[in-house]
Amino acid sequence: MATDTQTIRLTTSDNVEMTVERAVAERSILIKNLLEDLGGEQTESIPVPNVAEPVMKKVIEWCEHHKKDPPTTQDDDSDSRKKSTDIDEWDQKFMQVDQEMLFEIILAANYLDIKALLDVGCKTVANMIKGKSPDEIRKTFNIQNDFTPEEEDQIRRENEWAEDR
Amino acid sequence: MSRSRSRHRQSSGSNSDSSASTSPERGADDDNDSFISQPNDSVSSLDASISEEEMLDSVAREIAERNRVSPISRLPAELMIAIFARLGSPADLKTCMLVSKDWARNSVGLLWHRPQTNKWPNLQSVARAIRTQPGYFDYHRLVKRLNMSSLGAEVSDGTLYPFSDCKRIERLTLTNCTKVTDTGLIPLLEGNRSLLALDVTGLESITDKTMLAVARNSVRLQGLNITNCKKITDPSLEEVAKNCKYVKRLKFNGCHQLTDKAVMAFALNCHQILEIDLHDCRLLEDESVTALLSEGRQLRELRLAHCLRITDQAFLNLPHDTIYESLRILDLTDCGELYDASVQKIVQAAPRLRNLVLAKCRNLTDRAVIAITRLGKNLHFIHLGHCARLTDAGVVQLVKLCNRIRYIDLACCTNLTDNSIQQLATLPKLKRIGLVKCTNITDRSILALAKPKQAGQNGQMSPSSLERVHLSYCTLLTLAGIHALLNNCPRLTHLSLTGVQAFLREDLLVYCRDAPPEFNDHQRDVFCVFSGGGVDRLRKYLNSDAERTGFQDGTMFNEGTDDGAEDIVVDVNSGVVAMNIDEMEDEFGEDSEVMAVD
Repeated sequence: MATDTQTIRLTTSDNVEMTVERAVAERSILIKNLLEDLGGEQTESIPVPNVAEPVMKKVIEWCEHHKKDPPTTQDDDSDSRKKSTDIDEWDQKFMQVDQEMLFEIILAANYLDIKALLDVGCKTVANMIKGKSPDEIRKTFNIQNDFTPEEEDQIRRENEWAEDR
Repeated sequence: MSRSRSRHRQSSGSNSDSSASTSPERGADDDNDSFISQPNDSVSSLDASISEEEMLDSVAREIAERNRVSPISRLPAELMIAIFARLGSPADLKTCMLVSKDWARNSVGLLWHRPQTNKWPNLQSVARAIRTQPGYFDYHRLVKRLNMSSLGAEVSDGTLYPFSDCKRIERLTLTNCTKVTDTGLIPLLEGNRSLLALDVTGLESITDKTMLAVARNSVRLQGLNITNCKKITDPSLEEVAKNCKYVKRLKFNGCHQLTDKAVMAFALNCHQILEIDLHDCRLLEDESVTALLSEGRQLRELRLAHCLRITDQAFLNLPHDTIYESLRILDLTDCGELYDASVQKIVQAAPRLRNLVLAKCRNLTDRAVIAITRLGKNLHFIHLGHCARLTDAGVVQLVKLCNRIRYIDLACCTNLTDNSIQQLATLPKLKRIGLVKCTNITDRSILALAKPKQAGQNGQMSPSSLERVHLSYCTLLTLAGIHALLNNCPRLTHLSLTGVQAFLREDLLVYCRDAPPEFNDHQRDVFCVFSGGGVDRLRKYLNSDAERTGFQDGTMFNEGTDDGAEDIVVDVNSGVVAMNIDEMEDEFGEDSEVMAVD
């Protein structure tokens, strides 16, 4: 049956075929379930229509590095983990990419169902938000302020109670 | 295998992605289809001069441009929410609400899930926003948790009034909001089908009317804490039991007025009960206790302290040969009618008990303790304080067979000698030991406790794991033993030596913490408890003192201060209260495993 060195092929949205070690690709629950459903040897290339090659490469790089991590359990979704924005050093470096790539990685992790990568991605963005003012956030992410001054004022008033615990 | 299956999986995968996504670019194709399939839709009447296709084109271009300029706008709502959920700080969430309309929509639910109502100005501001009609958002629909316990007696019925529109509250915590009455509370409950946990501890004014409102509305209720609500009576709780069948955690502590009727109703109707606290429900009798155990196959925690009427029959009447695998915690403090036969039956019926509290069950003898040894390694926590008939024989046997004990209390077991404590000292995981008023024990016991233990098979010595040691009124103790204890127990954070003459010295008492305000002068005179940093400072002082005077740490020397010490009139309770089981209390309603050490 499946050995560690077994490889599979993936076809990305821009029609590039990639060969990946099966154990690495199986960090993606989507691909893992798919392979399990198909059973036996997988000879055909698996289409991944939502992820382009450059992004897929990054995702595979991450999966390679985390190949031996224990599988995440459902209990991991506890509040304490969600709120902690500590990221391990390798992951921090890995996430030092332009925003275009950062958000494509997050989208790909979500689509491919790679919880730990999605988690790292979300924490990275959360860290970019923390402690900033609305204006600094808009600048950071190039977001248009579509509030009227009155609306902004209203929201400020209605949420004035929210302060640091 | 089959190619068609693979295709199928792929396409359903991508469909679900685009439908879950609110990122317009990704779903654009689907949307186009639905638009185009209905050419005479109202959209076409918007502007006849621009064709639909052109319009869609321009919309798509606009979105593509936005995504190019601001890549974060590609993320669908669910992912933005996942990011915001990691912020944790309400202040950061508020900032997110002010960034843009999209951001506001995706952060408002998180921010209002549990509004800050711990300080008066915040509470008033939250209430104002909820009352504002129309607000920028329908905040009242977003509140899931409301906790006013930190404002306590400042909260009145009027305070609660604005929140009666919040019909989706899941956890309502009003601990010690003593001014609140039925008038304020009922409107909050009426029409709310979402409530999971209600804590009205100490709301002495509320009556059956509130409980009937719970029975009418709170069909999903899982946790109910009516501790010290002395006006609530059996009939309304019977209604709650009939209607709220999913309750899991019940706390009726201090409800003296309740009888078997109410508790029986819960036992017979609610089979999901995990935990029930009935401290001080003094009217309870055997029948309800038997029913709680025999009907509640999930029951993990049963607390019956001071239920004075309970007799052996409560347990002896349990069906023969039935095992209650779930039961982990049983508190029978001061159930004075219990004899050894109860304990024998309990241990046989609930072999996985982890915490057993039998303090002040004064009739118990070594026979009960021998029965308890059958719990073996399951037993972590045992309280036998004031079981004055116990002897070394029982305790030594207990320690030999239950070597995972982490907490043991033997206060006022006056027969015990150094033999018991030397055996106790071998427990590898012992964290807390209570020996208040075990007047026979000497420094020999303390030196045994201080000795490093062998951990594991490799013969490595590890320092004592003791954290809290209660030795008040162990009047034979001297400085030497305690000094050794301090130097060999690095984790020690609590050491009580009230009434031990050797420690009632000005130079030592400066490291002692203040006596509780309710103590009288005599109690103050003998009070001697070191905790936290006080323990460290005492250790340092004794070490430097020993250097000065040439004493080696841990060597025995006689201060000779124990003369007449036994004659001190003691209020044992003052010492015992400190080691009550308060640290066992879970946060109400949380599915916590506080007691699951390891």
